[in-house]
Amino acid sequence: MTSFLQATLYGLLQGGLLGLIAVGFSLVWGVMNIVNLAHGAFVVLGAYVGWQVNDWIGLDPFLGMFVAAAVLFGLGYALQRWLINLVVNGPVFITLLLTFGLDLMIVQAMNIAFSADYRSIPTSYAGDSLHLGGIRVPLGRLLAFGVSVVVTLALVALVNRTRTGLSIMATGMDRAAARLMGIRARHVYALTFGIAAGLAGMAGTMIGTVGTFNPAAASGYTLLSFVIAVLGGLGNMYGALIGGLVIGLVEAWAGQYLPGTWINALAFLVLVVVLIVRPSGLVGRAYYAARLEV
Amino acid sequence: MMLEVRKLSAGYGRVQVLWDIDLSVGEREIVALVGPNGAGKTTLLRTLSGVIRMRGGTAEFRGRSLGDRSIEQIVDLGIAHVPEGRRLFAGLTVRANLLLGGWRTKNTDLDRVIELFPPLEPRLEQVAGSLSGGEQQMCAIARGLMSQPELMMIDELSLGLAPLIVDEILARLPDIAAAGTSVLLVEQDVDAALSVAERAYVLETGQVTLSGKAGVLLADKRIQESYLGIA
Ligand SMILES: Nc1ncnc2c1ncn2[C@@H]1O[C@H](COP(=O)(O)OP(=O)(O)OP(=O)(O)O)[C@@H](O)[C@H]1O
Ligand SMILES: [Mg+2]
Repeated sequence: MTSFLQATLYGLLQGGLLGLIAVGFSLVWGVMNIVNLAHGAFVVLGAYVGWQVNDWIGLDPFLGMFVAAAVLFGLGYALQRWLINLVVNGPVFITLLLTFGLDLMIVQAMNIAFSADYRSIPTSYAGDSLHLGGIRVPLGRLLAFGVSVVVTLALVALVNRTRTGLSIMATGMDRAAARLMGIRARHVYALTFGIAAGLAGMAGTMIGTVGTFNPAAASGYTLLSFVIAVLGGLGNMYGALIGGLVIGLVEAWAGQYLPGTWINALAFLVLVVVLIVRPSGLVGRAYYAARLEV
Repeated sequence: MMLEVRKLSAGYGRVQVLWDIDLSVGEREIVALVGPNGAGKTTLLRTLSGVIRMRGGTAEFRGRSLGDRSIEQIVDLGIAHVPEGRRLFAGLTVRANLLLGGWRTKNTDLDRVIELFPPLEPRLEQVAGSLSGGEQQMCAIARGLMSQPELMMIDELSLGLAPLIVDEILARLPDIAAAGTSVLLVEQDVDAALSVAERAYVLETGQVTLSGKAGVLLADKRIQESYLGIA
């Protein structure tokens, strides 16, 4: 029983982090119809940024994650503004190919710059634990979970309640009509992509603090983002959080009771079952897009 | 004149659609642009609002050239384009749609447009995609007005609407014009368009073939035969 509760707690804490990773992936997919295969590379790159500033000036990763967020936002904005925007109106296949290429390049660049070794961002406290009646609550993971949930909810508030968010929603629903409102769609796309990359980078730093990472981990995070985004409902930000928690739980339970190789298979099984029962995802598709010219 | 279009040509790729269009819209004026399917009416509005580039000729709004301006700069000049098919943000509320109309100019005052279209008031929190066709067109025009434009171009106002509703919405146009927003109205329903407009242009295969006062055109034999079904 204790081991079940322990696994459950661990799954929820990990799930929050996964939610933060997936929320940007889902937003990009919902707004721009881009399945960003480089998303996992952004996560790992964020971990390296957090690691690097910690190595240089000893910056605590829970502060360094803001540096990672800023760097990845800038990179994401620039990539979308001057590269992906060139083909964003083309078939999904083209953007898929482009982001796949980006993924390869970023991963290879990280291999060259940092080697393929596993790393972790050291802190004096992340490994400490609270004890709640026999259950161990790792401090670093608790903190990462809290940050993830708060940041995800902040993103939801930004999109639903601000002027910028309104322009993102409108551009996602009908790009041509949004342009007639005087919204600069290319800028909005770049902003959206930058936000997604920034959140991925932030999550990456936290992942690098509570566990280990190396460049090869990128594809795993892309895959999880995909599963969680579809599970939660495309473009649905609450859905991404809930999907993240579900996948976190499934992985933790599977890790507890099944051989390690089952974990990813089970995550996909959950996805398939949910899609059969609720084709629009756990929470439902938040918006749909018109991609005709006016 | 507020809008002066001279010898304008435009098209898509290798296909030229508009040839030497001359057209003008004055202060507080309602001008109709009519013509058969595929004549290039929508293309002309797209060109004026900056969605596609003009290939030749000039278009000036209050003496400022539209040809080298981006869509958002044209919105800034005071031109609103209510697109064919309304193109509301279907998943957003009516309120959000209206606020988006005022997005560029940062106008958030809904009172004026609600006053013009009272049926929208009880629907403000409703998702725009669930409005009736008539309400959707009201919402689209109201959204266009939110940028407080000096010229509003409306494409196919009557599309898919019952004649009664069309008349009801058309009846608002004189008020809109009187309040300082000229209207360039693209219509298939020639009778309805000429009943509310002061002047009109007939566009056929990319060229202006007739123009003049609405009353004169209504009496014109060619118009009666081609567009009004009067033999
Ligand atoms: N995006 C496009 N690419 C290529 N050709 C186009 C495009 N849009 C319109 N056309 C062509 O331009 C011509 C004029 O079309 P346009 O939509 O301007 O006509 P319209 O007068 O608005 O017609 P309707 O009354 O049916 O709306 C047509 O021959 C059409 O096929
Ligand atoms: Mg048309």
